[in-house]
Amino acid sequence: MEKLFRSELKIINMGLEGFAETLKERETPVMHVRWQPPAMGNDDLLSLLDKLK
Amino acid sequence: MVLKSYISKNTFRDSVYLMRLSNTVRNFDGVIEAEVIIGTDHNKKFLQSGGLWSEEVEKGAGSNDLIIAVKAENEEKAEKAIQSALDELNKSVERENLLGEFVPRTFETALKNFPGANMALISIPGRYVEREVHQILDAGLNVMIFSDNVTLETEISLKKKAEEKGLLVMGPDCGTAIINGVPLAFANEVKQGEIGIVAAAGTGLQEVSTLINNLGEGISQGIGTGGRDVKEAVGGISMLMGLKALLEDDQTKVVVIVSKPPDAAVTEKVLAVAEKSDKPIVVNFLGGDLEQVRSAGCIPAATLKEAAYLAVSLSRGKQAETEGVVKDYSDLAAKVKNKLTEKQKYLRALYSGGTLAYEALIMLQDQVKPIYTNLSYKQAEKIADVYKSVKHTVIDFGEDEFTQGRLHPMIDPALRNSRIINEAKDPETAVIMLDLVLGYNAHPDPAGSALEAIHEAQSIAAKENRQIIFVTSVCGTDADPQQRDKQVAKLEKAGVLVFPSNADAVSFIGALLS
Repeated sequence: MEKLFRSELKIINMGLEGFAETLKERETPVMHVRWQPPAMGNDDLLSLLDKLK
Repeated sequence: MVLKSYISKNTFRDSVYLMRLSNTVRNFDGVIEAEVIIGTDHNKKFLQSGGLWSEEVEKGAGSNDLIIAVKAENEEKAEKAIQSALDELNKSVERENLLGEFVPRTFETALKNFPGANMALISIPGRYVEREVHQILDAGLNVMIFSDNVTLETEISLKKKAEEKGLLVMGPDCGTAIINGVPLAFANEVKQGEIGIVAAAGTGLQEVSTLINNLGEGISQGIGTGGRDVKEAVGGISMLMGLKALLEDDQTKVVVIVSKPPDAAVTEKVLAVAEKSDKPIVVNFLGGDLEQVRSAGCIPAATLKEAAYLAVSLSRGKQAETEGVVKDYSDLAAKVKNKLTEKQKYLRALYSGGTLAYEALIMLQDQVKPIYTNLSYKQAEKIADVYKSVKHTVIDFGEDEFTQGRLHPMIDPALRNSRIINEAKDPETAVIMLDLVLGYNAHPDPAGSALEAIHEAQSIAAKENRQIIFVTSVCGTDADPQQRDKQVAKLEKAGVLVFPSNADAVSFIGALLS
């Protein structure tokens, strides 16, 4: 955590886009991920995909 | 009246965007009720309870599809509203294309394109958090989890992994943090300085950090842990990591710990670490045992304001005094009391910040009785119907019963505003207390929004020759997007009593009603 306190914060934002927008406005380095539920939100398909990994 | 719906296949938008869009559609001419929502089973049930469900939606929409459901006066108005929602959805895609920015769909792709990232801010639905955050920790990033509805097991497994790797996990259900001067999620623009805060209470962190700023000092780090961190099952993993990191941090000269009283085993662990420290540590275990804190060599604070004042004094090398920090408002209370009729006896405290509501309960428990609330607090009565006040009532509008399918009151105060008007109709209402929480991602003008309701409430009361005392505290700084000084001026101009902190506002209420 010492390393974190000494570094410039670079943020990956996943979920609410507004959080990334406000960070961008104050010029904090941020990359927004347009996240969507994996496997089209289908839980059975998702657990199958996870097993294939 | 007609009910119409439209299903947009394979369309996903975040929940705050969709709730805002729902609000916009609801305000269209002739629209009675509307929702723009993702087609999960849970959301379909939600549509059912709101009278917006149809067979078409049940069969046609899956959890990767977007439902626009509108109840309107007639077919034409319903169709117009649906079309406007679709136009708005298309606009947001166009905007993204115009910006020409690369927007990845997965963490993996994001990391490849953004090397050196050291923090992930996660606000996806709770049930997907485990899957995503494990890979983020494996990649060596610290994480702030804003999402709620994450299981206890997931929280424990993520925090244990993070601990092994020396990484910080803030949350789940962590609404606010300030790391290296950067406000994350619902946080304020606070000066950087020498006071480090670790908090398991979201608005507690906001109140303490903004008061420190307003007293002229600054924050080195404001670490949030999520409220459940201090339960025995989690063991205070993040609180202990945060505390140790602040004690080792050269930038931090004074440490503040803010939390509801942790489970006994966690209190012991936290105080054991604190006891060995050379740095002064101020502890506010909201309503907790002050003596236990003192015997561990720490400085106990009874209120959030005291915590801020003590930290500021200590950082300036001065004695830690709490006397007179939260003022005695008996004189002001005596003057104001004349404005009330004999029937006006009760407090109606309508909060958006959970920690602030909790602090009010602690401070008022011996002065004003009985208090009814929707929070769990052993010295207060549980309210039967959260929509209907009884005698003295303290309501936290940020609790689940008000936020299911709705925006948090710090973003959209509509529900609280309508409650202000309802309280004004009750001839027994003496005082309406409101907290206005400023900062990033909060409502752009909370004072302006509250004042619309306050004016209406006052005119209702005036018709019956009554006057309601409006009491507020504004949690924020002048550097926040809403600018605290301007918000305060607006309220004061309208005759609202604005106090410098929540504790001061509650102290005044205690003097007025006891």
